[in-house]
Amino acid sequence: MARSPHRPQRAGRRLSDGRSRAIDSALKRRLEATLGERLYGPVAQRHDTTEIRVAPGDVAAVMRTLHDDPDLRFRLLADICGVDTGTTMQVVYHLWSDTTPDWLRVIAADLDRDDPRVPSITFLWKGAEWGEREAYDMFGIVFEGNRDLRRIYMPPDYTSFPLRKDFLLPDDASRSPGMGVRHMEQARRPADAPAAAPRSAKAG
Amino acid sequence: MTLTRSWSRLTPAGKIVVPLLAIVVALTVALLLGMVTGIVPAITGAVLDTLEANVGIVRFVVAILAVLLFTIPTAFIVGYLELKAIAFMNLRLGPNRVGPWGTLAAAFHGFKILAKEDFTPTGADVPVFTLAPAVVFLAPVLAFLVLPFAPGLFGQDMNIALLYFFAMGGLGVVGLMMAGWSSFNKYSLLGALRAAAQIISYEIPLTLSVVGLILLAGTLSLNQIVLNQQGSFLDWYVWQQPLGFAIFFIAATAEGNRTPFDLTEADSEIVAGFATEYSGMRFGFFYFAEYVNVFLLSALTVVLYFGGWLAPIDIGAVLHQVGLTFDPALDPGSLGLGLLLGILIVPPLAIVALALPFWAFRSGLPFWKALVVGFLLFNVIAAGATLLWAVASFEVVEGLLWFMAKTYVFVAILVWMRATLPRVRIDQLMGFAWKWLLPAALVNLFVTALALIVIDAVKG
Amino acid sequence: MSTTPQARVRSLDDPELYVETPATIFDAIPPYPPRTEREAEFYSVREGEMLINLGPQHPSTHGVLRVVLKIDGERVVDLDPVLGYLHRGVEKICENSDWHMVVSHCDPLEYIASMFSELVPVMAAEKLLDVEVPRRAEYIRVLACELNRISSHALFMGWLALDLGGLTPILYGFIERDEIVEMLAALTGQKLLFNYMRIGGVNGDLNHEFMSRLGDWMGHAAQRIEDSQTLINENEIFVKRTRGLGVIDRETALRMCLSGPPLRATGIPYDVRRAHPYGVYPELEFEIPTREEGDSYARYQLHLDEIKQSIHIIDQVLHKLPDGPVMAKLPRLLRPRPGRAFAAIESPRGQYAVYAMSDGTDQPFRLRIHDPSYFNLQSVGLLTPGHLIADTMAIMASLDPIMGGVDK
Repeated sequence: MARSPHRPQRAGRRLSDGRSRAIDSALKRRLEATLGERLYGPVAQRHDTTEIRVAPGDVAAVMRTLHDDPDLRFRLLADICGVDTGTTMQVVYHLWSDTTPDWLRVIAADLDRDDPRVPSITFLWKGAEWGEREAYDMFGIVFEGNRDLRRIYMPPDYTSFPLRKDFLLPDDASRSPGMGVRHMEQARRPADAPAAAPRSAKAG
Repeated sequence: MTLTRSWSRLTPAGKIVVPLLAIVVALTVALLLGMVTGIVPAITGAVLDTLEANVGIVRFVVAILAVLLFTIPTAFIVGYLELKAIAFMNLRLGPNRVGPWGTLAAAFHGFKILAKEDFTPTGADVPVFTLAPAVVFLAPVLAFLVLPFAPGLFGQDMNIALLYFFAMGGLGVVGLMMAGWSSFNKYSLLGALRAAAQIISYEIPLTLSVVGLILLAGTLSLNQIVLNQQGSFLDWYVWQQPLGFAIFFIAATAEGNRTPFDLTEADSEIVAGFATEYSGMRFGFFYFAEYVNVFLLSALTVVLYFGGWLAPIDIGAVLHQVGLTFDPALDPGSLGLGLLLGILIVPPLAIVALALPFWAFRSGLPFWKALVVGFLLFNVIAAGATLLWAVASFEVVEGLLWFMAKTYVFVAILVWMRATLPRVRIDQLMGFAWKWLLPAALVNLFVTALALIVIDAVKG
Repeated sequence: MSTTPQARVRSLDDPELYVETPATIFDAIPPYPPRTEREAEFYSVREGEMLINLGPQHPSTHGVLRVVLKIDGERVVDLDPVLGYLHRGVEKICENSDWHMVVSHCDPLEYIASMFSELVPVMAAEKLLDVEVPRRAEYIRVLACELNRISSHALFMGWLALDLGGLTPILYGFIERDEIVEMLAALTGQKLLFNYMRIGGVNGDLNHEFMSRLGDWMGHAAQRIEDSQTLINENEIFVKRTRGLGVIDRETALRMCLSGPPLRATGIPYDVRRAHPYGVYPELEFEIPTREEGDSYARYQLHLDEIKQSIHIIDQVLHKLPDGPVMAKLPRLLRPRPGRAFAAIESPRGQYAVYAMSDGTDQPFRLRIHDPSYFNLQSVGLLTPGHLIADTMAIMASLDPIMGGVDK
């Protein structure tokens, strides 16, 4: 019988049986009750993570609900990142709350690949600013409402988005002016400067 | 044509030696001709007469040359002490490669700095930039001029010596401002402005703390201040002016830009302050000035509060009490056979005594090598002692030793502070000067004045 | 804006070439129009203000961070951190390497405590593979991580003092770090980047040299760390310079996404080891030290408390260490099922997390690395304005960023 390519050949004990935690199904019910039709598909739960998907337009409202609702109290933003699935763009948030043992993963799914836009959550977590800047830098996702959305790692005149799946290094090299590091000196010969010998002759 | 061709064939050393030879030959010929015609003796006599007539100027020039020469070993010794003592407190080894226990490390730092490129940044104000290290370096050197090292051993005995000293100390800040402004660098500018603010603020408590002492001494001459403290260590001014001493030492630390007041060159904040753009020997001058300053401020502390060159107790008197007499003007002839024994026994004993610590504290050193070291050391010490004895009186040698010992205690304290304390912030620094040191200095002044009036009234 | 004339100088490379230096190199003002509201606000300099480049080469920026300070005299009006001088694109590299290689690529991120930066991707991969790690391996992981935490904290305390101008404490910090590094070198064969964690366990079992060094060290560790810190704890200048400096309250700390010591210094007991337990931490006893003040001094004190807790944990691990294998049985080529996994641990600097996506191949589809230094460093822009230049260093050092992690 052909073995599934995804199954380890001599697997040890599995994490999901044995010691792993019980799945927090109460959180699932609470989320379904609070968010209702804003949810974009079913609430998925695996290991220690509960995953919900929302439409990009709903992100601000959903995040505010998750942050402020007294039964949810997701006060701590554990991570914010962009994802390029190859067909669509996503922004993935991870949240933590003292009401549940699970991580909550919120996926703002189905962003337009040509013009990915999503509302910023800096009104709730000002610290998400750099996270959003990084997602913008790497994926070109525009966070509407972030007042400092510029490149953070790559040079300011860089034109590509390196973590996108369609990023190709030769393409990128041809598109970027290669002026990422600002030149300290711009060579220019003033009219009255003495003529210099050609460089190749000197090197020889 | 032939001349240019031969000149271009010379090696670099030859290009130096050949012109020198030519100059020497020309000078010799001129001298011979002068001797024969009788011009030279006449000129020499006139020159000697002029020098004798202007003995004050001659003394000044000689003193400034001596001081300039003296600063070089001083800076090296203080620099080495700092490297080694801070390493000891940091549980490191410190310099240990050049010379025994790395004693030549500081000197080789000097050579290294000489060999480095002297770099002038774009946009710098070149004349000011070049002049600044010299100004910074010359300020402490000029201040050295009035420092009494031993009875009769000083550059100039001015009756306003203390005032002159502070004036020269304040001159250094001009150099720092020049360096900071001309470097065309924002860090340099910040460092220079910090230096100006700090040194001018601390000048006030520094000067005021000494005013109480001046009331007591009745003079501004450093020489006279030392002479006033004659007697045992109980007669030193530190006992009469403890608060004044504390204020003086703290303010002097700030004046010398030493930790915890080294804000002008705070490397973790403004890179190196005014010295950021300097390299090579120009940077070396700043370093030099700093170490000379450390020595100078310690020396002034000793002169003002710790009796300068005076011994803490009169050893001769103590020995006399015990029953021994020690006559510095020793006549070898009176020793008789003892002289022979002394010559035979003392050198070997001294050599072994000098060799023992080397052998004991340096693992892996064979005893004969330690003996060689001991022999060399003994010869150096004996020659030095004999020469000093021949040139100067016993009092001068003794005074110089006491003075140096006391000064290096304070140098060590400054180094210790550097290894221990973090840096204060600029607002804390200024607040400390104006809110604490200045009122304390004023209190010190008024209490001293009041005490003098009361004592006068009681006596009168 | 400044109007420095252009200087015409000879080029350093070619003395016969004349070169014009643009005025902007002296001003730190970018040569392009501002792209965002914030950038326009920052780079419009008013009368009396000055922009100054702190870094990328500066003694106290802990690597290659560049901060553009807008200063008014000695007072910092505003600041703009500029990152990317150490950016290596580790996330992209990981997308093109298989799961075993990911560990060694993530290793140099947090190079002061690299046990942590290699543990997280390993944990994420284990969640994706759905494999359980042997208990002995879990205990060894805890042991190695806590040792590394102590060495990192000892160094932090020295750094903070060094940025305040104290020369000595950093070398006292290095005493502990030296001993621990020697210990871990006996265990892993490396001194800085250990490359010890493996998917499914650890690289090797505890050996005799490691255990004997650990035993020696445990005897005097707590006492000596406390001793060496008296040099700064009881130092008036140090306390005056850090107390009440860079105060964060709880709400702001959560809003700024802080984690680790800066967050706990405000009084929030958020420690991933307890908030979202992983490994064998539920079986171990330890407290989460917190402070209420939220200033630089509290952050410093917290590190000392955490060292004590770590020593306590190591003590328990040594007593509870079970026998057994240290690696789960796994195939050479790892092909996790398609899925997403999020793993987070408590590194010395805060919550270190990895969000991994697999598409069924032997390479991660997306590997997001969340470095606490990156998110902690952000609040330097909030804390510093209004303080002096010297305080910038005290605040930045107390947030303890590691540029290897910040720039990824």
